[in-house]
Amino acid sequence: MKNFIEKLLKIDRRVIFLALTLLLVFPIVRPLGLPNKNIGNEVKALYEKIEGLPPGSFIMMSLDYDPATRPELHPQAVAVIRHAMRKNLRVMILTLNAGATGLIDEIGERMPKDIAPGKVYGTDYVILPYQPNPVAVMTQIGMDMYKIYDKDRDGALLKDMPVMKGIRNVKDMQLGMCITGTAMLDYWVAYTADKFKFPFAGGTTAVSQMGYAPYLQTGQLKGLMGGMKGAADYETLIGVKEKGTSGIDALSLAHMMVLILIVAANIMMLWLKYL
Amino acid sequence: MTLIKKHIPLAICFIVGLLTLSTYYIPTKASENYIEVMNKWENIMAGFAFLLGLFSLFFSHYNKMKRKVDGWGYSLFVFVGFFAMVIPSVLSHGRQMVGPDLTGLGWGYRFLFNALSGTMFSVLAFYIVSTAYRAFRIKSAQAGVLFVAALIVIVGKVPLGQMIWETVLGWTHVGVTDIVQWLMDVPVVAGKRGILMGLAIGGIVTALKIVFGIERQYMGKD
Amino acid sequence: MSETMMIFGGWVAAGLTIFLFSFLYKDNPFFKIAEHLYLGAGMGWVFQTMLFQTWIPKVWEPLRAGDYYVLIPSLLGLTLVTQFFPKISWVSRYGFTFIMGYGSGLVIPLTISTDLMKQIGGTISPFMVSEITRGNATSLLNAAIVAIGFICVLFYFFFSVEHKGVIKKASNVGIYFLMLYFGAAFGNTVMGRFSLLYGRFDDLYKYSGERFHYATFVILGAMVLYFIVDHFRTRKPAVEEEAA
Repeated sequence: MKNFIEKLLKIDRRVIFLALTLLLVFPIVRPLGLPNKNIGNEVKALYEKIEGLPPGSFIMMSLDYDPATRPELHPQAVAVIRHAMRKNLRVMILTLNAGATGLIDEIGERMPKDIAPGKVYGTDYVILPYQPNPVAVMTQIGMDMYKIYDKDRDGALLKDMPVMKGIRNVKDMQLGMCITGTAMLDYWVAYTADKFKFPFAGGTTAVSQMGYAPYLQTGQLKGLMGGMKGAADYETLIGVKEKGTSGIDALSLAHMMVLILIVAANIMMLWLKYL
Repeated sequence: MTLIKKHIPLAICFIVGLLTLSTYYIPTKASENYIEVMNKWENIMAGFAFLLGLFSLFFSHYNKMKRKVDGWGYSLFVFVGFFAMVIPSVLSHGRQMVGPDLTGLGWGYRFLFNALSGTMFSVLAFYIVSTAYRAFRIKSAQAGVLFVAALIVIVGKVPLGQMIWETVLGWTHVGVTDIVQWLMDVPVVAGKRGILMGLAIGGIVTALKIVFGIERQYMGKD
Repeated sequence: MSETMMIFGGWVAAGLTIFLFSFLYKDNPFFKIAEHLYLGAGMGWVFQTMLFQTWIPKVWEPLRAGDYYVLIPSLLGLTLVTQFFPKISWVSRYGFTFIMGYGSGLVIPLTISTDLMKQIGGTISPFMVSEITRGNATSLLNAAIVAIGFICVLFYFFFSVEHKGVIKKASNVGIYFLMLYFGAAFGNTVMGRFSLLYGRFDDLYKYSGERFHYATFVILGAMVLYFIVDHFRTRKPAVEEEAA
């Protein structure tokens, strides 16, 4: 028995890799349809914040993620933009991460197709080009954003667009949001939200979600989505199930696998030690 | 020469640092104008800072190829990948879409960069499972606390875990999601806030040392 | 973009994904090729973004319009590149001093406000009379736990005094709060990593369909075949790594 347990503890890691692969692929081929019932309070807070904004309100969305964190963050961005468009809010999308421009173009492509059919580019939403040096942009956007962003992504004059009517800096906007897998959200909170008293919310990877708990408690963040679960929660709230929700089955199975492995390994260790 | 090489740069850092710092506490029209100019300059300068990374990568792989070190042939693919993005971009003037059609750049992003970047980071999932099995040992009370917190979050975040909790511990009338929420609202706030404050003090001290020229590592060797 | 290019794209994406995953079995040339392609493609992407979204609109176009002021930050930015030439590397200091001075000047007051004052305020505010009368016993208890935990964690990080007596006890309590944070963060990290992996598998599943001529299966089969042939070709017993 002891030998067997020792062998089990030293099992080839590739066996574990294979088991994980099978476990994640299974629900993709045969979805289990597990219900996502419990919605996080901080996701609800974000939803309610957007839900409470009057039509025509202006939301700035800084989408600062690249393909490395796409499965977690892209569904979050799509869900929030869909909600904002449905509520007839104005949305300005920008990025301070060069890797994000391709993903934002994908959103731009999907807008008239399925995210917000009927909404007009330049009137209801606008996409700005990538800008280097995040802190310079964050500081300037609190003063006179046109000094940095004079043109939109396609080179059209930004100030002349109907969507920008009455907007000069963040004081004219009703909500700011940053979706990122980096420390960009921390910067937004410090350099713009706190400094210019700008209501701000975030979307982060699950890895960094817990780190924003202090900002939520102080109200520096009005809401937060964490990882694919955060996206799934938001999709549930707006009643449109997409990539966030579809991943929940796979996450469920993989979580249980990790749990079983940790518990089993510790029981085996105790067995070897005391029995 | 020391004046040009050392003292003037240090003086610039001191003056720029002090002026920038003062704009926060003395919000006048002049300070606003100053910070607006600086924001614009820094925005452009940072665009060129990227060249540091680019040249560093190119020099390193060019040297590997030149010296024909082991596996030098792979370095060629660094340049292949680079031009696979840049050439289509130049042809399409940086546009991913022309009307409803994907350009060569858009194709490269979706099928090349997206796949490579996404997979590179997803591989970590395999190692986190393997490490959890091989190295996550509860050998002390502190490790036990860490394990309990991790266990609750792992169970409480997904529907299957919530179902199992309700079946096994439903009689307690304490929902696992409530515990996860409490963890995030209370002990996590305390723990992270302590770290945040430590980092903040460290950051402020380092920034002051840079402004006053005590910290000069960024200037390189004399 | 034609259907043929989309199908070809599916094959490329599936192939590169499987090449990178193949490292999990064993290091191999296909992984190395994909890894180097990633480095180059990543740089290439950022380069073209800089070119078309920064250098052309922010430097080239203003210069053509006669705005020569942009030359100052551009030249300062270009000085950074002298880092690679030892004889004139000191010139890069001029660029760096502007970046460092500006960054430091900005960060000091904002960090004081965001991560010091606001956090201290957030810890104290639940104990204000107005909050106490509004809140309930549970929220007050939670606020007390946050306050005690926060102070204890600070004691743990406070190295100017020797950790003994009450300070040691407080710092020990601080460790438990840190463990709760790290544990919760680990739980979430697990979720994050699986989400990314799920994303790749989801794509591979898409490329395994009829539309893409079963790209995933064909490439996967070819990789398995490669490893079998490689195994018999090398015939050398591989030294098994005992890494996690």
